[in-house]
Amino acid sequence: MRRLWSYLARYRMRYLAGCLCLIATASLAMAIPVLLKRAVDSIQSSPDVATGARSAGFYAAIVIGIALVQGVVRTFSRFVIFNVGRDVEYDLRNDLFRHLERLPWPFYQSRPTGDLMSRLVNDISAVRMLLGPGVLNVLNTPVYYLYAVSIMVSIDPLLTVAALAPYPVMLLVVKHYSRRLMEGTLRVQEGLAEMSTLIQENVSGIHVVKAYVREQSEVERFRAMNVRFRDVALELGKARGMIAPVIRSVSALGILVVLWLGGRHVARGILTIGDLVAFMGYLHLLAWPTMALGWMLSILQRGRAAMKRLEELFSVEPDIADPAGVPTPDWAVTTVSLPVGASAATINGQAAAPHDGVQAGAAHANGSANGHRAAPPAVARGDVELRHVSFAYPGSKKLVLEDIDVHVPAGATVAIVGRAGAGKTSLLHLLPRLFDPTSGTVRIDGRDVREYALADLRRAIAFVPQDPFLFSTSLRANVAFARPELEHAADGEALVREAAGWAAVAGDIATFPRGYDTMVGERGITLSGGQKQRVTLARALLADAPILILDDALSSVDTQTEEHILHALEERRRGRTCILVAHRLSTVQDADLILVLDEGRIVARGDHASLLAQGGLYADLFQRQRLTAELEAI
Amino acid sequence: MRRLWRYLRPYQRTFWMSVAILPVISGLMLLQPYLLKVAIDRYVDHGDTSGLGRIATLFSLAVVGEFFAVYWQYYLTMVVAQHSLADLRVDLFAHLERLPQRYFDRNPVGRIVTRLTTDVDVLSEMFASGAMTIFMDALTLLGIVSIMLWIDWRLALVALSVVPVVIVTIDFFRKRARVTYRLIRERIARINSFLSEAISGMPVIQLFAHERASFAEFDEHNAAHRDANHLSNVYEAALFSIIEAVSSIAMALVVWYGSGQIVKGVVAFGTLVAFIEYIQKFFIPIRDFSTKYAVMQSAITAAERVFQLLDTPHEIVSPAAPRRVAADDPERGAVRFENVWFAYKGEDWVLRDVSLDVRPGETVAIVGATGSGKSTIIKLLGRSFDVKMGSVQVSGVDVREWDLAELRREIGIVLQDAFLFTGTLASNVTLGRAEVSDETLRATVRAVNLERFVSSLPLGYAQPIRERGNNLSAGQRQLLAFARALAYDPRILVLDEATSSVDAETEQLVQEALDRLLRGRTAIVIAHRLSTIERADRIVVLHHGVVREVGTHAELLALGQIYARLYELQYAGGRSNVGADATDDGASAGS
Repeated sequence: MRRLWSYLARYRMRYLAGCLCLIATASLAMAIPVLLKRAVDSIQSSPDVATGARSAGFYAAIVIGIALVQGVVRTFSRFVIFNVGRDVEYDLRNDLFRHLERLPWPFYQSRPTGDLMSRLVNDISAVRMLLGPGVLNVLNTPVYYLYAVSIMVSIDPLLTVAALAPYPVMLLVVKHYSRRLMEGTLRVQEGLAEMSTLIQENVSGIHVVKAYVREQSEVERFRAMNVRFRDVALELGKARGMIAPVIRSVSALGILVVLWLGGRHVARGILTIGDLVAFMGYLHLLAWPTMALGWMLSILQRGRAAMKRLEELFSVEPDIADPAGVPTPDWAVTTVSLPVGASAATINGQAAAPHDGVQAGAAHANGSANGHRAAPPAVARGDVELRHVSFAYPGSKKLVLEDIDVHVPAGATVAIVGRAGAGKTSLLHLLPRLFDPTSGTVRIDGRDVREYALADLRRAIAFVPQDPFLFSTSLRANVAFARPELEHAADGEALVREAAGWAAVAGDIATFPRGYDTMVGERGITLSGGQKQRVTLARALLADAPILILDDALSSVDTQTEEHILHALEERRRGRTCILVAHRLSTVQDADLILVLDEGRIVARGDHASLLAQGGLYADLFQRQRLTAELEAI
Repeated sequence: MRRLWRYLRPYQRTFWMSVAILPVISGLMLLQPYLLKVAIDRYVDHGDTSGLGRIATLFSLAVVGEFFAVYWQYYLTMVVAQHSLADLRVDLFAHLERLPQRYFDRNPVGRIVTRLTTDVDVLSEMFASGAMTIFMDALTLLGIVSIMLWIDWRLALVALSVVPVVIVTIDFFRKRARVTYRLIRERIARINSFLSEAISGMPVIQLFAHERASFAEFDEHNAAHRDANHLSNVYEAALFSIIEAVSSIAMALVVWYGSGQIVKGVVAFGTLVAFIEYIQKFFIPIRDFSTKYAVMQSAITAAERVFQLLDTPHEIVSPAAPRRVAADDPERGAVRFENVWFAYKGEDWVLRDVSLDVRPGETVAIVGATGSGKSTIIKLLGRSFDVKMGSVQVSGVDVREWDLAELRREIGIVLQDAFLFTGTLASNVTLGRAEVSDETLRATVRAVNLERFVSSLPLGYAQPIRERGNNLSAGQRQLLAFARALAYDPRILVLDEATSSVDAETEQLVQEALDRLLRGRTAIVIAHRLSTIERADRIVVLHHGVVREVGTHAELLALGQIYARLYELQYAGGRSNVGADATDDGASAGS
């Protein structure tokens, strides 16, 4: 909740102005019944016809004036308050997205996308409801009551008590039903989730359903679930159905009291007909805010629960982050920043990755001593070294890499081969710090990677991942992903085309009707696996980084195209460090150094010829590849 | 909307009942101000309280009546809505179950789920929010206008003089609000799709230090959404305030004009009071109009999408007059491919002129490299797809002439990487078929060597299986897939062996189980295990969609061609799968 106040504080002047207008609106609204009463009374009590009509007209004119002013003030108050709610929603959503962008990969592996989405969309909406309609009604109701009750009491205290008697009852009823409503909504949501799961399973497992002719029984299962859901939904309907008649009848009951008791008072001359008019006016005015108060309680609860869920997300600290002393990148500066509590949660309940590197500790000490340290150096050459690196995935004890020791001089090409699951990809992931090693250090240009600002480190590494993930934007934007400024720059187009050329995808793109403007994904074309891989390769080549990493990046590309790409790369690789994982040995045999990885350890190293001569796993792999090639040729 | 009526029709008695209550509600509501008028004019204004009790009684009856009428009207509407929407959901689901494989390959799971849940829910919201009563509201307004005219037409005209302002205002804002509502919906959808992509692609964003640019893009979507909402807030605030103001002005006008008339003795006080009440009631439906209208709009869109799914053709269906095979037909259990050509797309032939003859009781192993078309054979047998040319015959009858359900009962297709459903261990074996007795279940589980595992589970057969089956090992899943097939007991078994390797002990269990499973059936096995191949009566070598070699293990080895190399590559070097060449070709063939 403290966080929410900080966000609100940014708009305090507007919000305050909105609230003042709201109070003004309420005050004006409260004047109207009294004025109508005056008008009616003046007819009844004035000595002659002309004055009576004149003074009634006078009051009516004031009412019209008030209505006009009120219209303006009310418009202003409503949209100002609601808009502040939208502004806070915007800020919160932006800050949360900034925060998400800083959280490391392991975090995303432990959280379903749906859960994060629902926080960024639904929870933030619930908080907005709290600030908009929530506050509006919380403020409105006391003001209305204050005015209305004091005026009504001054006219007839007994009638006031009698006419307002149904109102507290209504508040209780609405409160009761909003609780039932909330519970019902929850059950309906659970039912929906249950049905979604069944549908999802049936869609993903449709081949099994069809193979075993389970369609009918699955439909029966769904029908049973659906009947349960229908009944739960009807239960909710019952609770929801109570609200409207309660509001309608409560003000009507008040009017009944006014008619019966008030009518007697008028007949006895204690009250005027104008007083009755005023009473009825107030009863109408109070009905809605009273009802809304019951609603507000549930909006308040939901908003608080949502805020708690957001807070929980905000409190996850990125455990792969910039070293101390590096200023927060501009995009990550949140609109509101709060000091982090000591209880900051970590991923999977695991402690943050151990920073056992001496340098990292020293950097930290440095950072806190000077308060602010000179900007860390950028990667210049691309000399890569792994020293006694062992690694286990967060939450697991099994080492997937064990005591890896390797040095790749700047400009060299190193290939890593091995069976599936040998740890090749895990090793590559340590370089751009998608993970940090469990022990040992990864060094680039002689420095621990943890000493570099993350952005600098990652800009120095062009990574082509195994899974060719593309975004549903244009092909141009996908290729220019590492350098988005090129997308609209004058020379950008040439560079994008050049990179696509190297990756041997330019020809494919030329055949698309919209060329580089072709959208990828649902709204555009579906690329084949090989095309996707080549686009991701072009994306990495455009990054123009000193280190290039290919993680089995050409597996879906046919041999001929691969050869073409490798040839083009030879040119590009010059002066760059290149680390590649590949299954086709044709890809790796020209490497300066080949590492054979097996069960997390380097079991052999050398160049193609020497490894072949050694026999063992590499020679075995080579033999298989030869056979495969022969088979292809048959 | 008309098609929605088809779903309402079974509940039309309830539906019409709820509709019939609507005029009752209007009537009771309109009665109340009139009673006020009578009370004031006949009694209160003359200092007479004698009749006040009777009128108060009538008034309270009207209030209580209105209370119950409103409640019942809503409840009956919900009964109709929930029942008919539940029917619609079941229909959608049943339709979905019959759609061809192609449909599921083309549409993301999320979208399909949305059609059956969120979209139907929007329809339910239309009923629940009372948007359906929008037409009835018009009738109520008409009622108020008529009763006002009837009481005093001049005063009524004065009160209604504001109506043109209301109409113009509503029209002005409704048009703009509709545009902004659509903008808001589009923009929140854009935020959603951007987020879901950014979250799944976050490693890529971070690897390429693209955070600033991604944030900028998100900010753009977020700001666009906020701005659309700001605009819509202004419209809504103005609309709400104007209607409130107009209602106050109408009351002031009535008092103004009315006071003159009272003084002249033409109009009574009660009329004035009643008019003030009527004006209050007149503006309630008008205030709700824009919300109801928005709900109606999104319901219409949702209905369109839902019925579009219902209109998706089934493509692969049973023939009108399916052929049946006699139980003792000598052809029973035979499988024949006759010059089969097949392509997923255009002329991209995956199978070329494939002919294959499997005799009843025979075990045939199909081997081939990745992309040779092995998995496609399975898909054609179960009619996930139909051949482009040639024919596939099961028990002597073309699969296209079989009744689909009977065909799939004749052949059991086992994908050994068992897809697990949420439920218990037992329900995952029987797949919910009641005819599988507990005894059969136990015998089956014993036969596939799963008994020890089951008895080690805390809840045994009732052990809940989690989504995606994360709590079962690869070996256990393979055995479970066998158990399913064995319980299903098909005449012809089509088995796609698992590629995931298991430890030596489990391997032993799997082989024993497989032995028991194949006994006494025709079997076509997409083989990955050497032991399976060696045991087969015949081996068919598929290469680039063409049958290249047929024979026994020994014959083909001696031939020294494709099979010999495949054997050396995939099976001779022990059972470990080195490299990527042992991956299933199903995925790449399907896409």
